[in-house]
Amino acid sequence: MIRYIASRAAGMLVVLAIVAVLVFVLTRAASGDPVSVLLGDQATAADIARVQKEYGLDKPLPVQFGYWLREVLQGNLGTSIFLQRPVTQALWERSEPTTLLALMAVAIAALIGVPCGIVSAVFRGRVVDQLFTGIAMLGASIPSFWLGIVLIQIFAVSFGWFPVSGYGAPDAALAERLHALVLPATVLGLLNSALIIRFTRASMLDVLGEDYVRTARSKGLSESTVVLKHALRNALVPIVTVIGLTVALMIGGAVITETVFGLPGVGNLVVSAVLRRDYPVIQGALLVIAAIYVLINFSIDLLYAVVDPRVKV
Amino acid sequence: MPHVGPVVQRLPKLSKRSLLGASLLAMLCAALPYQQAHAQGPRNFATLAMVAEPQTLDPMASTADLVGTIMQHVYETLYTFDAKWNVVPMLAEGMPKISADGKTYAITLRKGVMLHNGRELNADDVVASLQRWMDQSPRGKAVGKEVASLKAKGPLAVEVVLKEPYAPLLSQLALPSGMAAIMAKDSIASPLKDFVGTGPYKFKERRPDQFVLLTRFDKYSARKEPASGYGGKREAAIEELRFVPVPNASTRVEGALAGQYDFADLLPVEALPRLEKSGGKTVPIMTPSFGFPYLVLNTKEGVAASQPVRQAIQTALGEGEMLAAGFGDTRFFVAEGNHFPKGSPFYSAAGADQYNQRNAAKAKEAAAKAGYKGEPIRVLTSRQYDFHYNMALLMAEQLKRAGFKVDLNVVDWATLVQRRNDAKLWDIYVTHSGQFPEPMLSPPQLGDGAPGWWDTPAKKTALQAFNVESDPAKRGALWGKVQQVVYDEVPYINVGKFNGLSAKSPALDNYQPATWPFFWNARIK
Repeated sequence: MIRYIASRAAGMLVVLAIVAVLVFVLTRAASGDPVSVLLGDQATAADIARVQKEYGLDKPLPVQFGYWLREVLQGNLGTSIFLQRPVTQALWERSEPTTLLALMAVAIAALIGVPCGIVSAVFRGRVVDQLFTGIAMLGASIPSFWLGIVLIQIFAVSFGWFPVSGYGAPDAALAERLHALVLPATVLGLLNSALIIRFTRASMLDVLGEDYVRTARSKGLSESTVVLKHALRNALVPIVTVIGLTVALMIGGAVITETVFGLPGVGNLVVSAVLRRDYPVIQGALLVIAAIYVLINFSIDLLYAVVDPRVKV
Repeated sequence: MPHVGPVVQRLPKLSKRSLLGASLLAMLCAALPYQQAHAQGPRNFATLAMVAEPQTLDPMASTADLVGTIMQHVYETLYTFDAKWNVVPMLAEGMPKISADGKTYAITLRKGVMLHNGRELNADDVVASLQRWMDQSPRGKAVGKEVASLKAKGPLAVEVVLKEPYAPLLSQLALPSGMAAIMAKDSIASPLKDFVGTGPYKFKERRPDQFVLLTRFDKYSARKEPASGYGGKREAAIEELRFVPVPNASTRVEGALAGQYDFADLLPVEALPRLEKSGGKTVPIMTPSFGFPYLVLNTKEGVAASQPVRQAIQTALGEGEMLAAGFGDTRFFVAEGNHFPKGSPFYSAAGADQYNQRNAAKAKEAAAKAGYKGEPIRVLTSRQYDFHYNMALLMAEQLKRAGFKVDLNVVDWATLVQRRNDAKLWDIYVTHSGQFPEPMLSPPQLGDGAPGWWDTPAKKTALQAFNVESDPAKRGALWGKVQQVVYDEVPYINVGKFNGLSAKSPALDNYQPATWPFFWNARIK
């Protein structure tokens, strides 16, 4: 077990190191310069050069990378060029909406995905199955900004049930902030439920063909007991995996939804940082997102070992 | 492994329970009535949807309009503009006393103006603020080059001595973007941490990507003159201003339609029909002559370095068509060759016969005569603003029709502002500017060293004459001469004027449309 954990952890570090290098190289490979954006139209070449020097952007890239790596290893992600605050602080401030959004969206996705997947599997090949499979396909193909605007027009503009954008008033209580997350979470949840429907269906189909299901049926158990107690429990492992991965994806992948709904989350931070070439923020945020992703994967691997005796440790 | 069994047993139960909990939570939230905050008696705040998160709140550090728009409520300037774009005093008591040689400006401050820290404003604050502006602000630095000395001459007296007469000084001191903001001397730091000004609102809180809150300053010292434009009496009738960043333009439109915002800034022109049909939920606001798109030509290197080639390009272009491509609805643009609108002291038709020619045959002939050999004209543009891109597409077609080869480079804005600094990379780039009341404020190509690197004897002569003349009546005619040189030498092409579209809620009363929207004197009904 310890060897298993150690090898997984080592793999995790390698992945993070690769991410760090890639992120650094890619942000610098894109042309554009944060200082020109920061100083605006009227800045002279001398101003730009002076501020570049202030931020160490005039140094050769390997030197910049070495400096950044040294700081990262000490847990310091640097300071944002635009926000004038440490990247860790900026990320921390934006973690609440992103985390709550991801959790709410996954809850919605699971609430839609798991039941639809089960029904699809049980009624395999029938109209309901085709309907749900079709919906899943549609969900996987609809762009989130479009769905976002449509839901805004219906539920925020026409009915006035939800705010169009933002994260509640400045003094908003948790309930009001959660209320502001309902529409974006629905968008993300609907889109991500497609994957869960597909996985649940496939996993259930595998299990429903097993001998013990036939045995349960032949014992005279009701169909609902067979499906929900005997089949679903055994089909859950891959479903839980996919739900876990969906959470991880959403923490970095809610970018467009956060922009459309004006949510002050990590996704929004990354988008504005990319547009302004705020290197420390792009690098720091992507590294943290990658770390979360890798950590969730790591925990899923560990869970496998615990949950499924067939996984060799 | 004996422990495996119970875990498998428990897992579904846990999942079910947590799923149930989450779903209950979601339903609870969905059932909450929206606008609960609005239900408690008359509202004392306004929600103002802005185009982005401000890069900084230091009004000197950035020329971004957004920073000026927000911080003009906190900081004031010595002078400002009235509704007709005349310079009028704000923190200064009256207009300055200018010496006969036009070099010495004696400025007296208004008495009893309170700073947000409870102290009275004095000449030391003003000198320290303007010094910081001339040291740090991109626009202030250009002004600083003209200034020989800046001194306090008493508790309320400030003296500015210029090296040469420089007429745009007062306009420079008045502009809200890249603002010559007057701040408490003891609050001055880099970066700025405390925002201590004299404005009708004081800074309360900023949460990046969420809001900037300004709250009424109770000891504000207002001017006595009636309000006009940015000038005259200012009153913070709304207790709290909430500037919220809503970068997605469609979301700003929907928020305005839903009545969530009291003001939604800079909306896409396509949204106008929907705003008009909103049934009174929102009121569209048009700001005339809001800005002008312009094309900068590279006079230093490449094919456009030849003046006859630039003239041929100018001949090929049909600016009217370009504006139509950029803004669609004719209510949103005016195709006219005068760089300043009618009614402005700088209105002039000089050189306007060169505008909107759209003459492919003549352009082709002129290009051939200028020795154009089919080198590609590299056009740098971005999709940050749709109208830049749409105008560039049409311009490329017009140029092709006149026999030019065109290489359209579409990049993002951050890339464009970097590449335009390198003369080897482009021949034309597309951008736009606000329509400012003083020609020297924009475009930067009228100054020194801006991309395009326009630097000719004719430019120097015309601008020199224009800048030393401080009599506004004479400056109008002198601007006509500058405009003529611009049409002759084609360092940049002013495409025309466009109007801005915003929207306000019916509850927001007494709002006056402005280039930098302000909310003093506005109230919530």
